[in-house]
Amino acid sequence: MSDLQLQHLDKIYDNKVQAVFDFNLNVRHGELIVLVGPSGCGKSTTLRMVAGLEDISAGNLIIDGKDVTKMPPKDRDIAMVFQNYALYGHMTIYENMAFSLMLRKENKNEIHQKVLSAAEMLGLSDQLNKKPGQLSGGQRQRVAMGRAVVRTPKVFLFDEPLSNLDAKLRGATRREILLLHKRLNATMLYVTHDQTEALTLADRIVCMSMGHVQQVGTPLELYDTPANLFVAGFIGLPPMNFFDAEVKNGEVVCNGFSVPLSAEDKAALERYEGREITLGVRPEDIVEGGKISVDVFSNENLGQTTLVNGTVGKHRITCKFREWCTYKPGDKVNVSFNRMHFFDKKTTDAIRL
Amino acid sequence: MTTNNDAFIKRDRLRFTKNKLSSNLTLLAILINAFYFVSVYKCDVGTYYYKWFIGISVLYNLVFMLVAFLSSEGVKSYNIKYSFPLIAIGILQVVRIFILPLQAKNAVITLDGVEQAVMEDGKFFYQSILLVASGVLCVIAGVVNIIKAQTLASHQAQIDKETKGSKS
Repeated sequence: MSDLQLQHLDKIYDNKVQAVFDFNLNVRHGELIVLVGPSGCGKSTTLRMVAGLEDISAGNLIIDGKDVTKMPPKDRDIAMVFQNYALYGHMTIYENMAFSLMLRKENKNEIHQKVLSAAEMLGLSDQLNKKPGQLSGGQRQRVAMGRAVVRTPKVFLFDEPLSNLDAKLRGATRREILLLHKRLNATMLYVTHDQTEALTLADRIVCMSMGHVQQVGTPLELYDTPANLFVAGFIGLPPMNFFDAEVKNGEVVCNGFSVPLSAEDKAALERYEGREITLGVRPEDIVEGGKISVDVFSNENLGQTTLVNGTVGKHRITCKFREWCTYKPGDKVNVSFNRMHFFDKKTTDAIRL
Repeated sequence: MTTNNDAFIKRDRLRFTKNKLSSNLTLLAILINAFYFVSVYKCDVGTYYYKWFIGISVLYNLVFMLVAFLSSEGVKSYNIKYSFPLIAIGILQVVRIFILPLQAKNAVITLDGVEQAVMEDGKFFYQSILLVASGVLCVIAGVVNIIKAQTLASHQAQIDKETKGSKS
């Protein structure tokens, strides 16, 4: 396994559309990096550039200290797992897993041992004589992973591997990928639009939007200290509530309510006195009891928690309470904020000390 | 389950791979037989071949190809039953030399008052070689399948025994 460096990568298509802008990332040996972002943000394009399936318009791709920018995909020693599995339907699972090694003309006994050990690791030992059509979606995805594992590549690439699976299977397969990463201590690059996958799997997350990297950091960093409005809104479920606000005399004044600032927040917002900012509050940072009155319009019980949707002044708000609530439309509930995030109105960057 | 014993691994591979050797040898035998019948029907002189046995010969070629093709599929999965028809049609290929090609080689036909050999010696040898080759390939395919199928069966029995032993 090896280090991976993406240096100033750009992707410009023939029709002059630029999909990726100045992508920089250093992936350490054994690290699992998740590229996350909405559809069309350039995350899959970046992955395909690493795989060699897309030409790199500018920049360098370094694997293990070696520049592979112009190298064809087969020589990069990279294995990719696709969303649609890309298995050969006429071959058995054993043959599918052994195929790439056969092409390399490796010793047949060694291939056999590699396939059996990968199958055992992935719980596929009893399925080796079956065809892909006889397996469930989750099993097929495990075969696709097995096909990558047997090659012991320098880097594993995953392109939304769980998107075709139902919610239950997705959770189970996600845990298997995590286990696989721990066992192999492999360098992995994983693309998803699902933030739950990103938060649970990643050592570090790269959050992308419109071809630009918005923030790189650990899942906790992205959740706790989002770099800008986009990351704040994208990471977290339900998403963060945003309010147009003004900083006035040590308070944040919004339409319908105002919140006094802590000493730390005051210091951070000193230069914004009298200016408009965006206030962000995560639904889970809102608690019952306080001076902010919410007009409830829906109450969603999720078992352990309740999502209460309502309005405060002109703003919509979603609160995530830790108990079973039975608010009805038209009810009023008083809330307060445990924690707040502030963003510059113009640049959308987070405001911090 | 994995072991460093090469012989064991070689046997174990049979559990997951097809018997492509037997299958491909059989398909090759069909191809060679095709060369044979193209050659034998091409060297007709006058109407020598228009006798009852030409019909049987055509029919037998069809039967040969059908049996060989079905067997080539059967032996892929180490089904020992398909070895026997393969060996049988392999032997029959050699027997065939003494029917049509040999009779044609020995026959003389008079055309426009001139006596003429129905099949020249060179063609006879060519066809004999084709028949022997396809026959030998069928027999080898059948024998290889028997050996591999028996190896696989005993290997599987050994694994089952070990699995049973480890469970109890």
